[in-house]
Amino acid sequence: MTGLARGIAVRVMPTITVLRWRRRWPILFRFGMLSMATVSVLFPFLWIFLASLKPPVELIRPSLLGFEPTAVNWSEVWLSSPFARYFLNSVIAGGITVIVSLIVGAPAAYAFSRFRTGGTGLRFLILAAQMMPPALFIIPFFLMAYYVGLLDTVWAVAIAHLTFIAPLVTWFLIGFFEDVPRDLEEQAMVDGCTRWQAFIRIVLPAARPGLGAAGLFAFIMSWNEMFYALMLAGGHSKTLPVAIAGYWTFRGVDMGKMSVAITSAAIPVMIASFFVQRYLVRGLGGGALKG
Amino acid sequence: MSRRDRWLGHRMVFPLILLLLIVQGYPMAFAAYISLHDYRLTALNEVRWVGLAQYAGLLENPSYWTAMRNTLIFVFGAVGLELSLGFLLAYLLWRPVPAQNAFRAILLTPMFVTPIAVGLMFRFLLNNQLGIIPVWLRALGVEIDWFGPDLALFSLILIDVWQWTPLMVLLLLAGLEALPAEPFEAARVDGASEFQILRHLTIPLLRPVILAAVLIRMLDAFRVFEYVYAITRGGPGERTETILFYIYRVGFLYFRLGEAAAMAFTLAVVIFVLVVFLFRILRRQEALT
Repeated sequence: MTGLARGIAVRVMPTITVLRWRRRWPILFRFGMLSMATVSVLFPFLWIFLASLKPPVELIRPSLLGFEPTAVNWSEVWLSSPFARYFLNSVIAGGITVIVSLIVGAPAAYAFSRFRTGGTGLRFLILAAQMMPPALFIIPFFLMAYYVGLLDTVWAVAIAHLTFIAPLVTWFLIGFFEDVPRDLEEQAMVDGCTRWQAFIRIVLPAARPGLGAAGLFAFIMSWNEMFYALMLAGGHSKTLPVAIAGYWTFRGVDMGKMSVAITSAAIPVMIASFFVQRYLVRGLGGGALKG
Repeated sequence: MSRRDRWLGHRMVFPLILLLLIVQGYPMAFAAYISLHDYRLTALNEVRWVGLAQYAGLLENPSYWTAMRNTLIFVFGAVGLELSLGFLLAYLLWRPVPAQNAFRAILLTPMFVTPIAVGLMFRFLLNNQLGIIPVWLRALGVEIDWFGPDLALFSLILIDVWQWTPLMVLLLLAGLEALPAEPFEAARVDGASEFQILRHLTIPLLRPVILAAVLIRMLDAFRVFEYVYAITRGGPGERTETILFYIYRVGFLYFRLGEAAAMAFTLAVVIFVLVVFLFRILRRQEALT
């Protein structure tokens, strides 16, 4: 028997022989409930994806199947509209936000984790800063961007996103630096590194998964954010959420194109989410919750 | 801690503090200034000091109170449903079940999609002419006007539940998995039933995580904007006017920036109080672990 087959046999045989109906139904019940939940999660995605493949005449006749799939919506959105540009705007805004947040947030998070710099007060401030309502900052931002000439640029959006993403990344990283064993950097310091060198050469590489997860999550947050983007960049510097909102206004609706836009915006983050999920709890709790 | 370490700590925190002063401190002071003035985008030359008049005006503004009430209904309705459903799903996922990891990964996906897309997805899905759900309901003889005056706010709550129950599942499941095994073994040896264990052991042990999860969700739900923007724009009438949407309307559609800034500060106070609670719970948790 190969190792794999043995593993399967060990796992399966007791289930069959030991579990009687009375013990087995809870698992079936749980499996059934979870399947129902999964269907209700997947169904809206499926509906939107199918809608993106429907020719315009089919869209006014709601049905799941029984239509000729077409790529006309996809080619119109991606090739004959500025959608690709909006996609790029979102990538740029997210990229700037993530890079600045990591550069500024990583040393600060390390200082919190090792030296308790600023104590409880500063920690609280970091948590409060990421939760403050965007309504508080949007009016000043709008006026400032207007006076400086940044209105309707990706820069204005990226700077606005820093208000909550920089503290969020810092908060995330505290937990991940807590998990890096202190022996590592102490050993490096015995070997002649300064504390700063130990941070750069030893701690940062050791915390790489955490840095990656925090950066990816920050990118998703920026990618999904609409309130600031809507007010600060309505024209050619639109980001994806604002562009998506533009497909259904009082002036008219275009279901097919809207569905393409939604699918295009959702797929990258859903893929990214699979890498982030594992780290999310530890990050959200600032190291206080176990992930 | 040596003095050199302390000095290094200050230098490492400094860039973040500087950034926050620029992107948060200065705008906040500016917003406070605006909220104390009669500041209209249409009359920027006639800005004048009005003291607390904007805040006093809010007390007598029925639309403000309607927006606050709608927001509170939304927050408590949505977070309540999310907690119940999220706890159920986390509990189901806790012990081994076939395809556990696949369930887990798929059930978490809604929270990563941009809320405006989720709002439009459901507007489409529930639309009486274009959506498939009304077609199925009609086949069952049920006619529901999802975004009519009676149900609009409830429909928005359901959309929020669809998108954010996953976050509840994520946090509660992590909490469940971090629980110590011994008390559960002891309880089982003593012959406690599943329900007794749940009621007297699981829920009390999980309490801090439940509180933290509820607060994290509430903080987010207070800022609901995208669903309203995507679907109802505050209507019908003022039935779905939430606070953030009302601030947007007053500030960016009516150009009364002073009034909008004053409202934003009242919202910030509510949020701040919730953050204080969240911080205390997280600190206590940390002391335990």
